[in-house]
Amino acid sequence: MRILIVEDERKVAEMVARGLKAERHAVDIAENGDTGWAMAHTYDYDMVILDLGLPGMSGAELLRRIRQRNVQIPILVLTARDAMASKVESFEAGADDYLTKPFAFAELLVRVKALLRRGPANQVSVVRVGDLEIDRLNQKVSRAGQRIELTPKEYALLNYLASHPGRVLSRTMIIEHVWDQSFEGLTNIVDVYVRHLRGKVDDPFPTKLIQTVRGAGYRFADESSA
Amino acid sequence: MNTRSIRFRLAAWHAIVFAAVFAALGALLYATVREYLDDTLMETQARRAQQIAETLLANASRTGEDYVVREIKSLYAPELGDRFIRVTRNNGSVLYVSGPPNDQSFDPSKVPAAPGEHTAEFARQETLSDGRSMLIAAFRAATADGGSYLVEVGTSAEPVDRFARHLLALLALGIPLVVGVAALGGYVLARRALKPVDEIAVKAEMITQHNLSERLPVTRTGDELERLSLALNRMINRLDDGFSNSKRFVADASHELRTPLTVIQGELENLASDARLASEVRDRVGSTLEEVERLGKIVQKLLALSRLDAGEAQEEWVPLDLAALTASTSDQMLLLAEDKRIKVVCEADSPVIVMGDQARLKQVVVNLLDNAIKYTPHGGSVRLSVYERSGHGIMEITDTGVGIPPEALPLVFERFFRVDRDRAGGDEGAGLGLAIVKSICAAHGGRVDAESVIGAGSRFLVTLPVSVGQKHAQAR
Repeated sequence: MRILIVEDERKVAEMVARGLKAERHAVDIAENGDTGWAMAHTYDYDMVILDLGLPGMSGAELLRRIRQRNVQIPILVLTARDAMASKVESFEAGADDYLTKPFAFAELLVRVKALLRRGPANQVSVVRVGDLEIDRLNQKVSRAGQRIELTPKEYALLNYLASHPGRVLSRTMIIEHVWDQSFEGLTNIVDVYVRHLRGKVDDPFPTKLIQTVRGAGYRFADESSA
Repeated sequence: MNTRSIRFRLAAWHAIVFAAVFAALGALLYATVREYLDDTLMETQARRAQQIAETLLANASRTGEDYVVREIKSLYAPELGDRFIRVTRNNGSVLYVSGPPNDQSFDPSKVPAAPGEHTAEFARQETLSDGRSMLIAAFRAATADGGSYLVEVGTSAEPVDRFARHLLALLALGIPLVVGVAALGGYVLARRALKPVDEIAVKAEMITQHNLSERLPVTRTGDELERLSLALNRMINRLDDGFSNSKRFVADASHELRTPLTVIQGELENLASDARLASEVRDRVGSTLEEVERLGKIVQKLLALSRLDAGEAQEEWVPLDLAALTASTSDQMLLLAEDKRIKVVCEADSPVIVMGDQARLKQVVVNLLDNAIKYTPHGGSVRLSVYERSGHGIMEITDTGVGIPPEALPLVFERFFRVDRDRAGGDEGAGLGLAIVKSICAAHGGRVDAESVIGAGSRFLVTLPVSVGQKHAQAR
């Protein structure tokens, strides 16, 4: 996939570009709004990652123009402002998603992936990772054929982790998806729930599916490691 | 009445000064009048005594004493004029003494003899044996044959005394009256003059860091009070500038910190996931990453606080049930408590409707409950209750935790304040949680209070105004 990054902070742009290239995407960088606009209507991109605070043409203006020209293209907005007003404004101007700096790189990747896929993650009704089976239709979990009873929160946590196998999910991301923004800053709640979840899902079995990544968060084992 | 108020003190000083001035004036007036009247009366007597002595008695040796007595009686008729006349010979025998006066103001027979030491003329005040007072002037007349007579003319001092008493009574009544009126006038005047001070004080009480854009009332009178209110307003201006500068600084600083934090976090994440690195290095990178994330959280919280300060809480303003919100939030956090075998009791059965931003109010519950669990030892309990009392929705969180020392209690809502870094055991907060709670409550027109007993536990009390619209709806 070909992705355009419009970001005036060179280091942020390079960091994002490097990460996306590692995911085998083709990446172009524009350092201001005017270049961004020129590139966006010259080449055919699959996605635009756009910083709102840009020199020259403002990010909001660029967002509006790109959206006018192409209704389909996914646009992810980055900003240092996280006031609700600017969030609402950018959605109204046509952004598909929104990330506030500083963001976890893992989270950026998850969102890019979701936007490129265009649709909710893994619509399959039964997820299997190794010997773990999650039946989304009936919200039932079993491992090695054994039924595992989970509380609704534990189920939501396991389901979220298992939806992104092999990816590091930060505690902030987990809180935002499984709880809500009001729990932001209460990262130890994630650790407590993960511990309980492990007690049911991992501890009785030799292979551990939920891995801790120091400083980053948690990762659910993918097929290869499970 | 406040005896230390300027109003009262001004009126009191007014009264004291007036009283002193009038008392002095009154005393002077009384003394002057008294002396003048005494003098005038005495002078009249003296003139008459001299007249009698010079015109009649000086010639007594020629005209004979009987003639003199007759002349005195016919010319002066002392009894009719309420006057006392006595003529005494050189040897002390009385030649003539007037009879009792018409008004019976004195008894002539009781007037003692003149003291012998005086020769020419003299005046005296005599108190009679019956207590009445007389003014007596005496004049010695020398006759041609070398003899002499002492002529005494007197009158009752009573009228003068009476007049003086009247004057005294008048002054005694009048001065307090005048002083009273002056004090009242002073009080009213001071109150009128100081009324703007009251208005300024009332308004100044209402100004906090949240409404520094408001100003004190200025009375355009050109007096000292106008100057005072203008000076105070200029001071508020400077405070306003200072506050908004520091707020802007926090907001700007946290904005500026975000981009470098993004780069640091992203690069470290990349490093941490690099399988080629030695595990020890990866571990250190991870540790750094944890701190970077913590820094990011602090920046985010500071920004949230500065936005609350700027009054940006009203993003979403809807009626919501505080009781239901509290109950559902505590359900979501139950595992945190169970993890420490802490019992959480939630008494929030009847709805309490308040106006506000759901996410922010939820954050209040989260932060307070998280604190309560954090500072309560294993096996303790936390009680949550939500109820309505006198137009306020109240949320109470009581724990059986370690408590807060009394000296720290007023500071727990301050930014970056932490009672004791070791208390919570590995607490990663920045000491902003309660500051955020306070700011959110203030933005909702409410407040949060804390009370605590060391070793027994703490209680946090959130008070929010109940939604008025909801009350109307219930009434209908």
